[in-house]
Amino acid sequence: MTKKTIALFILGSLFCVSLYSQKIYSTKSAQIKFESSTATEDFEATNNQVDSKLTDKGQVMFSLLMKSFIFDNEMMQDHFNGNEYMESNKFPKAEFKGTIVNIATVNFTKDGAYPVMVSGTLTIKGITVKESAAGIIIIEKGKVNTKSTFKIKLKDFGIKGKDIGTVISNEITITVAAKYE
Amino acid sequence: MGILLVGVLAVVGVWYFIFYRPTHFKRDVKDETAIVVTAKDIVKEFQASESEANKKYLNKAVEITGEVSETKKDQEGKPTVTLKSEDAFSNIFVTLKGDQQLEVKGGATITVKGIVTGFLSDVVVIDAIVTKQ
Repeated sequence: MTKKTIALFILGSLFCVSLYSQKIYSTKSAQIKFESSTATEDFEATNNQVDSKLTDKGQVMFSLLMKSFIFDNEMMQDHFNGNEYMESNKFPKAEFKGTIVNIATVNFTKDGAYPVMVSGTLTIKGITVKESAAGIIIIEKGKVNTKSTFKIKLKDFGIKGKDIGTVISNEITITVAAKYE
Repeated sequence: MGILLVGVLAVVGVWYFIFYRPTHFKRDVKDETAIVVTAKDIVKEFQASESEANKKYLNKAVEITGEVSETKKDQEGKPTVTLKSEDAFSNIFVTLKGDQQLEVKGGATITVKGIVTGFLSDVVVIDAIVTKQ
């Protein structure tokens, strides 16, 4: 074997090791909030049972149940899950799968707040749309937390209903906060 | 005078049913008849057919008995408890009402009554109360 092939072999082995040594952070109680604000009414709903996984290679996933969204007003919650809006019996879940584009800038072994860009696909009501969002990864004493706020357009997901555009805003603000283990 | 009275009653009625009642009277599983099931069986049902299990359990009050594997708090400080099934990757993730006190640690068998919101990797139960510990 020449020196070059030995070097290649070593590099290759290192690459395999790094692939298989990826660390997975997970939680079953990430929090996702959404807010709607119009001249007529402001409201928000919170889901505290969001399943999420993040790897130190930048792969990220959120999965949630529509019926876990809690509103202050129970009647609004029923409308939200009902046939006019989310049809939660037919579409009980929503999911985001994506990657952190600039994961290389995050040092998981050093405390700090790292700004990140996430890009991936969001599925709501069976419709999958490409979305990207800015977020932050916070490393504190070995614990990994993430936060992000972004907006989605209801019509992109085929969400209709007579109050959208008046009582409910066309764009909804989503806030994500995950504390991983 | 009569018209004024009707008008006032209508306004009060709308205010009560649309604004007051839905924000002040929350659904409480304590008052509901629950479907009784074990942690092992409900997970098996969701694994066998998620759509059938959703029809049976989604948004329903369910009383589930199982062995505690861990207890924690969620981001709002509400107690959470995981009940074991026979599959290590798929359990029952229960979030209790904020006023519930959980005395038990892992290994104990308890019964909780709450509302099923669906199936992720675990069966998710919210707004639960502890009925036996």
